[in-house]
Amino acid sequence: MFNLFQLVLVLGDLHIPHRCSSLPAKFKKLLVPGRIQHILCTGNLCTKESYDYLKTLASDVHVVRGDFDENLNYPEQKVVTVGQFRIGLCHGHQVVPWGEPDSLALIQRQLDVDILISGHTHKFEAYEQENKFYINPGSATGAYNPLDTSIIPSFVLMDIQSSTVVTYVYQLVGDEVKVERIEYKKS
Amino acid sequence: MSFFGFGQSADIEIVLDGTENRKMAEIKSEDGKKERHFLYYDGETVSGKVNVTLKKPGSKLEHQGIKIEFVGQIELYYDRGNHHEFTSLVKELARPGELMQNTLYAFEFLNVEKPFESYTGSNVRLRYFLRVTIVRRLSDVVKEEDIIVHTLSSYPDMNNSIKMEVGIEDCLHIEFEYNKSKYHLKDVIVGKIYFLLVRIKIKNMEIAIIKRETTGSGPNTFTENETIAKYEIMDGAPVRGESIPIRVFLAGYDLTPSMRDINKKFSVRYYLNLVLMDDEDRRYFKQQEITLWRKGEKTRKNLQTSATSPQLPPLMTGGTESFIPAQNHTSDPKNPTGTIEDMKRDMDEEEHSSNLTVPAVGDASSTNLTADGMDE
Amino acid sequence: MPMTPQLSPVEDQEKLLGEALGVVKTQALQMKMCLDRSKLMDGLKHASTMLGELRTSLLSPKSYYELYMAITDELRHLELYLFDEFQKGRKVADLYELVQYAGNIVPRLYLLITVGLVYIKTNTCLKRNLLKDMVEMCRGVQHPLRGLFLRNYLLQCTRNVLPDVAEPEDESEGSVKDSIDFVLMNFAEMNKLWVRMQHQGHSRDRERREREREELRILVGTNLVRLSQLETVNLDKYKKLVLPGILEQVVSCRDAIAQEYLMECIIQVFPDEFHLQTLHAFLKSCAELQTGVNVKNIIISLIDRLATFSQRADSAVGSAGIPSDVRLFDVFSDQVATIIQSRQDMPPEDIVSLQVSLVNLAHKCYPDRVDYVDKVLLTTVQIFQKMNVDRIEYNTAVSRELTRLMRIPVDNYNNLLTVLQLQHYGPLLDLFDYHGRKNLAAYLVTNALENETLVPTQEQVDAVLTMLSPLIQDQSDQPPGEEDPEDFAEEQSLLGRFIHHLRSDIPDQQYLILSTARKHFGAGGNQRIKYTLPPIVFQAYQLAFKYRTLSNEDEVWEKKCQKIFQFCHQTITALIKAELAELPLRLFLQGAIAVARMEFENHETVAYEFMSQAFSLYEDEISDSKAQLAAITLIVATFEQMSCFSEENHEPLRTQCALAASKLLKKPDQCRGVATCSHLFWSGKNVATKGQEMHEGKRVLECLKKGVRIGNQCMDPSVQVQLFVELLNHYIYFYEKDNNQVTVQMLNQLISKIREELPNLEANEETEQINKHFTNTLEHLRNRLESPESEGLSYDGLIL
Repeated sequence: MFNLFQLVLVLGDLHIPHRCSSLPAKFKKLLVPGRIQHILCTGNLCTKESYDYLKTLASDVHVVRGDFDENLNYPEQKVVTVGQFRIGLCHGHQVVPWGEPDSLALIQRQLDVDILISGHTHKFEAYEQENKFYINPGSATGAYNPLDTSIIPSFVLMDIQSSTVVTYVYQLVGDEVKVERIEYKKS
Repeated sequence: MSFFGFGQSADIEIVLDGTENRKMAEIKSEDGKKERHFLYYDGETVSGKVNVTLKKPGSKLEHQGIKIEFVGQIELYYDRGNHHEFTSLVKELARPGELMQNTLYAFEFLNVEKPFESYTGSNVRLRYFLRVTIVRRLSDVVKEEDIIVHTLSSYPDMNNSIKMEVGIEDCLHIEFEYNKSKYHLKDVIVGKIYFLLVRIKIKNMEIAIIKRETTGSGPNTFTENETIAKYEIMDGAPVRGESIPIRVFLAGYDLTPSMRDINKKFSVRYYLNLVLMDDEDRRYFKQQEITLWRKGEKTRKNLQTSATSPQLPPLMTGGTESFIPAQNHTSDPKNPTGTIEDMKRDMDEEEHSSNLTVPAVGDASSTNLTADGMDE
Repeated sequence: MPMTPQLSPVEDQEKLLGEALGVVKTQALQMKMCLDRSKLMDGLKHASTMLGELRTSLLSPKSYYELYMAITDELRHLELYLFDEFQKGRKVADLYELVQYAGNIVPRLYLLITVGLVYIKTNTCLKRNLLKDMVEMCRGVQHPLRGLFLRNYLLQCTRNVLPDVAEPEDESEGSVKDSIDFVLMNFAEMNKLWVRMQHQGHSRDRERREREREELRILVGTNLVRLSQLETVNLDKYKKLVLPGILEQVVSCRDAIAQEYLMECIIQVFPDEFHLQTLHAFLKSCAELQTGVNVKNIIISLIDRLATFSQRADSAVGSAGIPSDVRLFDVFSDQVATIIQSRQDMPPEDIVSLQVSLVNLAHKCYPDRVDYVDKVLLTTVQIFQKMNVDRIEYNTAVSRELTRLMRIPVDNYNNLLTVLQLQHYGPLLDLFDYHGRKNLAAYLVTNALENETLVPTQEQVDAVLTMLSPLIQDQSDQPPGEEDPEDFAEEQSLLGRFIHHLRSDIPDQQYLILSTARKHFGAGGNQRIKYTLPPIVFQAYQLAFKYRTLSNEDEVWEKKCQKIFQFCHQTITALIKAELAELPLRLFLQGAIAVARMEFENHETVAYEFMSQAFSLYEDEISDSKAQLAAITLIVATFEQMSCFSEENHEPLRTQCALAASKLLKKPDQCRGVATCSHLFWSGKNVATKGQEMHEGKRVLECLKKGVRIGNQCMDPSVQVQLFVELLNHYIYFYEKDNNQVTVQMLNQLISKIREELPNLEANEETEQINKHFTNTLEHLRNRLESPESEGLSYDGLIL
């Protein structure tokens, strides 16, 4: 497939209905069908309806299993290739300590990926380490996490063009959606 | 006239006085052609001059006298020999003698009675004329000049409307009303038909004006019916409660005043015939006599002054006051015209009498039903 | 000419029409030629002959219409000619009388109208009388089709000359009252003719007749349009003259088709301002219509118009809207009741439809008046009581209509709490059978979710959940048998989501809410509670955090927190009783973390209880090896995060973890398990370390070594190498964390071991992955070697 320009939606930890009733309305408005080519989900969709919802946004949906996913068909880890990038996907509850960069680096090396996407902490992160890119899209619903009482709902959109990934982070701060841009270039 | 081809002869010309101001009227002659003559009314003086012109100037005309007559006569076509003169006045213009030259005689019939209207019918003719006769030994020289007489009537004192309920038992009950029983010749018949019961499929309805001329008397009575006008007043089948307007302008038709027993020789009567036709072309009708009369022209002229304004006689239908709802409708038994009469079925045009569901009623004089008997 | 129309086939109609049009063409041409030569009388004769074609009984309404159009088009020439002549002052005496000598009534009346119009146009003082005369004379045509078209001609001709002034200067010019009388009479007559069509001919032709009547109805309706176009008709005149006249005719004609069409016509052609002030009269007439009339549609149509009007009026500045003296709802409500009463044959679904429209009206015109809506609901309940209906079956017409009724308040308020204010909503809901109730319950929930409606008090929660009980609990009238599992899951997750909407900002109230919810949902049975109890538990955890933030304000916050965790404990235990294992395990772990973060009295004990419950579940209930590895990994990872334990409690727990890991069934799982456990001894925290990582390097190394030992026991070389690579990474991790127990030699040993084994593996995708993993690991080390100073640690002696 030759695509100069691909949008990848990265999100996870929705925890519907356990911890939240739905995605924030403002996010739903942003997420319109037909714009996004791939969806990478860090897990904890929890119900089929949430998965079906993602399917309405894009046909290519990849999900890994979160600690509250009952669907046994979701893998623990997954590698997806988009353009020139190998992207690793893992929920992260299996990584001890949770969310620690050095621990995540182990997974990155194992999966042999350029970008490692993980979740579970409900906190957005994006950083480069040893020329690898790490993204945690946070929780799209801003779901409760006992370790962090100030969760900000967030998701990430990756615009992948040849060897560059431009990452847009959407965060719902108060009642406003804030967007930040982070660029990563593969060496 | 020179019957023997010799001798003097003369032309007679009758010149009426005041012709420049006198109206002329039209009348049909016996052969159906239209003639125009000066118009006179009852009591008017008929005067004028008689011009006798000698055909051979210089030669004398011998005569037994010259007279002028004013004649009103009735001619019955089947009895050509007998003319019944009901008026005959004579004036002598000249005593017997000789005419040496063209001579002018004045004459005058003062305030002459003209009791009847000029009339040309199918079997009878009533005419007025002046006749000048130069009496001679062998053959008279005669000249006739017709005039037309119109009999004017004043407004009738009594002019009730004609109102009647008629019908065929359980099939059709209607009430019709004509606003008058007497109409002048330029009048308008205004009326309405109100349907009380309709159980036959009516196709249309028309009004015919029928003229009935009766001549003779006893076994020698001749009756001639002539349909003067056929006028469709309704198209289609009404239902119970419908009220259909009638408006017939008479001026356009060839009508005469009604004449009753004129000099015991003839009568001319007029009838309005209301005819209903069902969709199997059976006809039901009711005739009602009306009286026609001639009105003086003066009033008519007044009406004509506003020629741009159409004459709009008020209609009998429309407006709540004249609308009679079916359920409230009752005949007034005290009103002698309020009886229900049987309509007649026109047997002449009936071809399928065996199919009839309606009892055929042959004669107008058949039983009259009372209103009570017909009440629904 | 036979009277009964022999309905001809299409070709026959075409032929007949063609012939008639031919005559029209010829006669029209001759008429025009005569007129050009000023031979008016001859012209009129040809016009009359042409018009004679309209006497036919053979044409269908459609063909007759075409003929009519062609002829009236030609009549325009005559009209224009006469108008010209009259304008020039060449007036023809008695023309109006003259045309009336035509022997046949149809041509006569067309001519009369044509001439009459010319008179009116040239001499307005004749207007009043002529209008009266013409409309009256038209009575002579009683044939429905011919009469309708004749009167249509009259209406068309007079459309621009109808008097439209209240008080004319000259009475003879007529006032608007004359126009009203004129049109009303024409309307009444046309309607009678139209209705009469229904009763003519054979009963087997009924369908065709009705179709033909449909085609002709516009002719009748045009009268009403004409009335609506009279500008001088104000409300007063409409109320006193126009509407009573129309309604009298509509009611008295006793024909369902006419009544339905004309009532609709009235609604559509006259302004809403008029309707508002004449509701009584209009609705009263509705009650008097024939049984076959769909009164429901008429009323709904009116309500919809007025409702739309009120909204339009609201938005338009300065617009009047619904006058305050018009008690729109009350009027409709009363009249609808009368109509229902007077029409005993009305099907129940239609009765409900009427209620639907009433509710719509209330919503659109009186959005604040919840009591209006409630009144309609009460009426509906009473109607069903009267009919002795106590169960409404799903998917029947009544059920569908009633569902519509029930959905309106939901859709309009978009607020479940407002729906809750409707006293009679519940009783009406109870009339539905199981499916109906459940569907509506789901509808209510969905609406609350979409509108983010929060239910903020215990009482409201109780009421809402009672209303939703068909979703929450088994019902006595529930049909036996399993439901579709996907549908069931969908419904239940709706409920789960809805639980997050049961929320008060006041913590004590929130506690009551959760307790109430727990009571309702707790009775849901094993199938339901796995969807509904976890949200309650998570809400409870969050409530505990809330109390913690309020610790300065609430003296007894600790007690309350304790109580909450007790509540959670019980709730999770209920899930265990429903034979669930993994879910309660995770919920306990989540609770443990939460407790650990709260320094209330006794919290360590509670945390320990939650952890030990998790362990019990792990040991007693989870048997699948894959699930076991996942569970122990989660327990370890969770435990790693907790710093609330004293060494006394921490030690047995971490030992228990290590033990459990080493007891996993499969060697690779054991290997990975113990490797994971190693972190407990490094970054684990407890009270003794004052929240600092404990860094027990030796115990870490023991774990790793144990991992290597287990790895060595693996029979599958590929798995073994894979495990070694993973272990190598763990060694590197701790080496880089400055665990001095881990040495470069150990790394070298592992690297060389892997190097030794790797080439022996079968060349396949798996091997390739292991290779990559190893290469990446070495690459990482190489990076570190090349920039040792930045990290402050040395890889001296590392052999790559």
